[in-house]
Amino acid sequence: MRLFRLLFYYEYLHFKASRGLLLLTGLLLAAGLYGIYYGTAEVARQRRHLAELPALGRHQVAELQVKFPGPAEAGEIGYYHHNYALHYPTAWASLALGQRDVNPYYLKLRLLGLQGQLYASENVNPVKALSGNFDLAFVLVYLFPLLIIALGFNLLSSEREQGILPLLLAQPVSATQLVLAKLAFRLAVVLGLGALLSAVGLAWARVPFDGRVGLWLALGGGYCLFWFGVVVLVAAGQRSSSFNAMALLGAWLTLVVLVPSLLSVYVAAARPVPQGLALTIQQREAIHGGWDQPKMETMRRFFTHYPQYRDTATIRERFAWRWYYAFQYLGDQSAAPLATAYANGQAQRHALAQRLAWLSPALSTQLGFNALAGTDLPAHLAFQQSATRYHDALRTFYYPFLFKKIPFTHADYARLPTHSFTSPSDTHAAWAGLGQLLLSTIAVYALGLALLRGRAVSIR
Amino acid sequence: MPPILEARNLRKEYPGKLALKNLNLQLAPGEVFCLLGQNGAGKSTTINLFLGFIAPTAGAAFINGLEVARYPLEIKRHLAYIPENVLLYPHLTGLENLALLSSLAGFKYSESELRAYLTRAGLPPEAAGRRVGTYSKGMRQKVGIASAVAKRAQVLLLDEPTSGLDPKASNEFSELLQQLSSQGTAVFMATHDIFRAKEVGTRVGIMREGELVDVRPTTTLNANELEQLYLKHMQ
Repeated sequence: MRLFRLLFYYEYLHFKASRGLLLLTGLLLAAGLYGIYYGTAEVARQRRHLAELPALGRHQVAELQVKFPGPAEAGEIGYYHHNYALHYPTAWASLALGQRDVNPYYLKLRLLGLQGQLYASENVNPVKALSGNFDLAFVLVYLFPLLIIALGFNLLSSEREQGILPLLLAQPVSATQLVLAKLAFRLAVVLGLGALLSAVGLAWARVPFDGRVGLWLALGGGYCLFWFGVVVLVAAGQRSSSFNAMALLGAWLTLVVLVPSLLSVYVAAARPVPQGLALTIQQREAIHGGWDQPKMETMRRFFTHYPQYRDTATIRERFAWRWYYAFQYLGDQSAAPLATAYANGQAQRHALAQRLAWLSPALSTQLGFNALAGTDLPAHLAFQQSATRYHDALRTFYYPFLFKKIPFTHADYARLPTHSFTSPSDTHAAWAGLGQLLLSTIAVYALGLALLRGRAVSIR
Repeated sequence: MPPILEARNLRKEYPGKLALKNLNLQLAPGEVFCLLGQNGAGKSTTINLFLGFIAPTAGAAFINGLEVARYPLEIKRHLAYIPENVLLYPHLTGLENLALLSSLAGFKYSESELRAYLTRAGLPPEAAGRRVGTYSKGMRQKVGIASAVAKRAQVLLLDEPTSGLDPKASNEFSELLQQLSSQGTAVFMATHDIFRAKEVGTRVGIMREGELVDVRPTTTLNANELEQLYLKHMQ
């Protein structure tokens, strides 16, 4: 222990004397703080928008009340009135924005066919989407390995190349003790920085202090441990510092960039999913076709789904709202198999990506962070399901007005259903990510230590 | 008296090259053995085998009765080593480097004690607190010598230790070796310096192509005779 403390202390002296490493550590600290700011600012912006929507809804109701001063046809109100399905972020979302920037966090729904509205979101700036989110999870997953590489590429080769190793190993200290102490100091620097940034991020985002905090720290810590394992594995080869640096940067490029990109391509090819646009077109074609269908036929088909309205009056007019909404509904029904295939396909893609994520610890960690923050694809799909249920509730609310010809009064606006959804943390998925990460970490250490033990340390 | 350093049929082969051919040698405490030989003769290989830096192909090396291959850490408590070119952490001072090396050896010295060791090795007192990056080769060599002395080892393994030292410092180093030898420290020194070998050695060995071809007590021949003997073996 005395020896370990001594070597640890001298590592601190070496670190203190290295301006480059101090600068890099400082830069990463700054990047982490910016990531926390970026994430919390983005979530605050989304919360602000979500908070403004009810007021916007009230404003629209006031406009409708002016437009329809007395009792109105519910079909008119259902046609014009926007209802908002709101997807609130959890406090955790500030630390890992996940897909909250590319998927809509609110939907503007009318009584019309649903499918087209589910995918009709505002356009995302593609340039901004390309660069991705600069949140804390990004800093931990993408940038921390670079600091670990900078700290560890010359783990043993530095002493050998400086010629100090023979004099050090002429003392009663083994190369393994030397490597472990050096590794421990570097690990302390990286984990300390990660813990500091996480503490600032958790406090800044006002994340509730519960078991998920431990899971977040375990994911971040486990990921750093994995990269130190890669450093040990490369150092065990006892090659030059420049070779080690190139090998480690190659590993970073492979595990952080290439493998996730290739997995994404593979998953997309292995689990083909119909496009949201195809869904919209199919639904729209069915709806447009509805205008040309005999009204009796449309209503007969509709009543098979809503038999409670079968005894309503036969439509004789040229246009009736209940007929209009019936073929809107049937449009959704015609697109239902495609919609189910779309949702299932997306879920299957995510499940496959999760299963294959062990190939890239960066991916396991990122998926774990997003699951913990409730910002992953399943969270968005859950929001879409919730919005679908909300649209059903709107239909249930409006249909009695439409089919029983009840006038829609000003008082009825207040009875309209409202929607709010907050995706919870998926701790099960986060634990799964942690499990994959730990297996990769154990494998890389086992390999590295076996190599280190199997080869005598070359002093020159 | 049991030998403090011993080689029994010590042999080292590399693919296509015999680096050391069945060396048998014993050193008693207080003895100074100087090993002469050309570059590549196997002198450094012998020292590296005693340090446990390389594994022997056959035979065994012993320090204080302990086999080097079996007790790689324990034997290092009994020996000190000065390489031909002492390299240290350049961003640390001479004092800090010496403190590290002696602490690793298990000695906790005060700053004044460390300064005393450096001065005794010939380092100017004002240089002790300076970063080693500013030192000359000779100054680094003196820190190496100080670390070896501060370790109070029973065996000194020296690989061209006076390389980089000026004549005055070399003389002082010779005196230091004689002083340590009189206190019972055994010295095994690989060198090209025939004069130094005759001056400080109690025995001298000549190595050629990995084989110890001659061993003589230094009392039996003068410097010129030693030089002639060496040249004869090198022909």
